[in-house]
Amino acid sequence: MKNIAKYAIITCAACLAIVGCAKKEPPKTEPTTEPAPAAEAAAPEQPALNADSLAAEQARLEAERLEAERARLEALINQIMSEDVYFDFDRFELTEKAKELLAQVGELLIKEKRFTLTIEGHTDARGTEDYNFTLGAKRAMKVKEFLAAYGIENERMESVSYGKEAPKAQGENEEAYSQNRRANFRVNIKQ
Amino acid sequence: MRKTIVLLALIVSALATGAFAAIDTIAVDVGISVFKTIPLGMVPFEEKKGITWDEEKPHQILTRDANLSGRFDVVASDKFNLALFSRNHAEYYVTGKVEPKAGGLLRVECYLYVSKSKDLMLGESYTVSQKDLRRAMHAFFDQVTKRLCGERGVASTKLAYVSKIEGVKQVVVSDYDGFHRTQITRDSSISMMPVWTLGNKGLVYVNFKTNRPRLYTKKFGRSEQPLFTQFDQTYSPAVNPKTGELLFSSTKDGKTDLYVGNMETGKARKFAYLKSNQTSPAWSPYATEVLFTSDRGGGPQIFVMGKDGSDMRRVTFMGRYNERASWSPSGDRIVYTSMDNGKMNIYTCALDGSDIMQLTSNAGNNEHPTWSPDGKLIAFSSNRSGSYQIYIMRFDGANVTRITQGGENTSPTWSWFYEDNSQTTKEGAK
Repeated sequence: MKNIAKYAIITCAACLAIVGCAKKEPPKTEPTTEPAPAAEAAAPEQPALNADSLAAEQARLEAERLEAERARLEALINQIMSEDVYFDFDRFELTEKAKELLAQVGELLIKEKRFTLTIEGHTDARGTEDYNFTLGAKRAMKVKEFLAAYGIENERMESVSYGKEAPKAQGENEEAYSQNRRANFRVNIKQ
Repeated sequence: MRKTIVLLALIVSALATGAFAAIDTIAVDVGISVFKTIPLGMVPFEEKKGITWDEEKPHQILTRDANLSGRFDVVASDKFNLALFSRNHAEYYVTGKVEPKAGGLLRVECYLYVSKSKDLMLGESYTVSQKDLRRAMHAFFDQVTKRLCGERGVASTKLAYVSKIEGVKQVVVSDYDGFHRTQITRDSSISMMPVWTLGNKGLVYVNFKTNRPRLYTKKFGRSEQPLFTQFDQTYSPAVNPKTGELLFSSTKDGKTDLYVGNMETGKARKFAYLKSNQTSPAWSPYATEVLFTSDRGGGPQIFVMGKDGSDMRRVTFMGRYNERASWSPSGDRIVYTSMDNGKMNIYTCALDGSDIMQLTSNAGNNEHPTWSPDGKLIAFSSNRSGSYQIYIMRFDGANVTRITQGGENTSPTWSWFYEDNSQTTKEGAK
């Protein structure tokens, strides 16, 4: 967990350090990056107006800061979304490994108050569609309960069951099954 | 002393239940059955010149109907052959005449005769395009069934099922024999669990377009309507055969309960207040009782209760995974799916859980059984061929016939009987 925070800070610092240099990356489609090139273009035309160029520089810095923040959040979201929790066949109890992982997710959510979570429960391909919906729901709920106990507000989480409809791994073997008996996360940012 | 009595009691009960236990574990071999089929002679139709066949000929369609029906065994012959028919006990035979008509149409006359006397028992004629010939022959075959068995046949019924089209599960409808497939949903998200509304006017199914399972209904030729949007996640629809009300599962915060609602008004109420999770509801033929699955014992087991949610009884006791029961149209048996060693197989049993018959075995997974409306057949999906396809078998497991080819086809649900003949092209006997 600490590593993640460190990584995030380093990412932030790195982004800020780059600010001084000219933008080497091709312009992105992100709206937050648009003001920067515009300001750069305006600056050489009116070199006398220092106040203006200062404002432009500030806008550029602000844009860079937002971009860095966006990248940082994106990294966190990707991290949470890649943290799948696995279950045993026809069971919905959390394993020790799952609990460790969920504690990390809980920690991230406590730090990032704007994050809301959709917890998706899944099953392997065996069994009926109907019962697997109920099983997926129980798995998602177990995860939600754990995070609620960890200190995450219930309003920030919803649980949804996908049953056996959204497998991560294809195939009819234990390797695929064990990958598919899972709960995973979708992260949204509250505006 | 006390111990010996208990022991004795155990031995006695073991002896008494020995016979049942044996039945419980013996698989019924496919193809061996006490059910008697009626041999039916089949003679190719007499053809007038000038017909180029793109589709199957009348007697080929009728032969398939007869073999699928679970009621008949076809005795095929190139021409009328009394010796062959009597040797095979075919007391009746079917034949007819086809002649080409203007506009690419065919005039088809169909006859059912008594073999010995050549007395005409039934005659119908149809004027149809080759494309509509199948449906006309289905209609005639249902007449044959009515005449010889005194019951309605299912040759004019349909199946709704799920077909993977360009990687997405879509709901499709076809004739019961797999022909004339029509795609019903065209979403980029998964559609599944189709069931028929009363009068076969449309379907109810589940779609994931809101990133959760939710019920929708669609009348054929009309636009889709969301159902019971006051609920979060809804699935496992079951249409009341008498009132058309919908019984379904709804999951909220990890708990799954049964609700019953009116699809027109959107109003719904909880069907039963139970601590366990419930899913896969199914109505009895007269809608007086409901089968469902509960996880109260850990794994899924089948239970039954009254339509008011009272008098709950457990039905299945053998095995740890028994799911998705449905009631035979005659009301005397249920069909369900059971998992053993990770494989799904189809079983039937009496309403009290006794007299268990295993219908499928040693052939991949066999799932999602659905009764034909006459109760003679069960359609199901199986991956015995490598990919999931739809099959039809007789109610006792005999005569398994594959009806879909290619792609992946699952979760069949048989339509109700069609109340009128509007979907057929019958012209009437002349």
